[in-house]
Amino acid sequence: MSLYQVQKLLYHVNRDAERRERYRRDAAGFVKGYELSDNEATAVLNVDIRTLYAMGVHSLLLRPFTLLNKVSNEDYAKALKGLE
Amino acid sequence: MSIVFACAASHAPGITAWTEAAPKEQADKFLASYRKLGERLAAAQADAIVAITVEHWANFFLNSMPTFCIGRAAHYDGPVEEWLRIPKARIPGDAQLAAMLINVCLEGGFDPTVSDELLFDHATFLPMHFLNPNMAVPVVPVIINTLTTPMPSAKRCFALGELLGRALAKSEKKIAMIATGGLSHWPGEAKHGKINVPFDRKFLDNLLTGDVSSLTAYTHEEINAEAGSGGHEIRTWIALAGALQSWKAELLAYEPVAPWATGCGLVAYNP
Repeated sequence: MSLYQVQKLLYHVNRDAERRERYRRDAAGFVKGYELSDNEATAVLNVDIRTLYAMGVHSLLLRPFTLLNKVSNEDYAKALKGLE
Repeated sequence: MSIVFACAASHAPGITAWTEAAPKEQADKFLASYRKLGERLAAAQADAIVAITVEHWANFFLNSMPTFCIGRAAHYDGPVEEWLRIPKARIPGDAQLAAMLINVCLEGGFDPTVSDELLFDHATFLPMHFLNPNMAVPVVPVIINTLTTPMPSAKRCFALGELLGRALAKSEKKIAMIATGGLSHWPGEAKHGKINVPFDRKFLDNLLTGDVSSLTAYTHEEINAEAGSGGHEIRTWIALAGALQSWKAELLAYEPVAPWATGCGLVAYNP
């Protein structure tokens, strides 16, 4: 249960091609390699932008991670609406 | 020889990745100034570029985040970002110059991390694309942590620049110094797209008038609130101002480019 572990997971998926491939093949299995709470694991698996952002995930880890998950600029902005 | 060229420049990825999204007149003006800086650097025939720069999770993570890092590698590959629309290239390093600067730091009250392998992301690679288009002039990166807290104070960045500038002024090589980052922007945040023009203008004014007390008085909280998480990169500009205190800053361009989501500035320094 830690923001550090969530960010570490995103960093690995964003930057490491081999880990990214494992995440793409089996996301549920991949997240088990990190010490995440159930809520954190769910937020990662659902690419729940608003929850991840609100828990303090760095925006320059979050946005590239959502880009890899094909989230458009419009949908990304919509997910964060009201958090300004 | 000594320092033969210096400039500070924004590196918003949209400058190359989605150039045409910007209003044409604004983009043309900004890009023309960037190329003009490249021509000036070429005319100065620099032997090496000392780049006061930042990075965005390209090399470092929270398990080990250096406050200051000097690259001593033989070469640097980039850009990390596939979508930057800048061809991949290898830029030579200058390990000898890097080693000299590291020693200067250690003797002068700074203890930087030393790295013999670094990747360049858009922070360094985009300015290189315009300023060092053949990727031929060797580079020594001096990376300041402007990504995560805690970050070095404006005062400390200025002092680092002062130390580097003093050493480089006595260098046997012809040195180009560049600073890259800023100005106000909120990348990937809920406020993404906001640009604080009054903040940017005031900051540029402080540079142009050489207002050291204002430049060193910026606090983390002030930058965060007024210039956004991306605005922390102005620390590189502040460091350069420390290096070139007897030089005159000249504003070549300032464009708050909404589609690039950044207040984009270019400042040249004249001896």
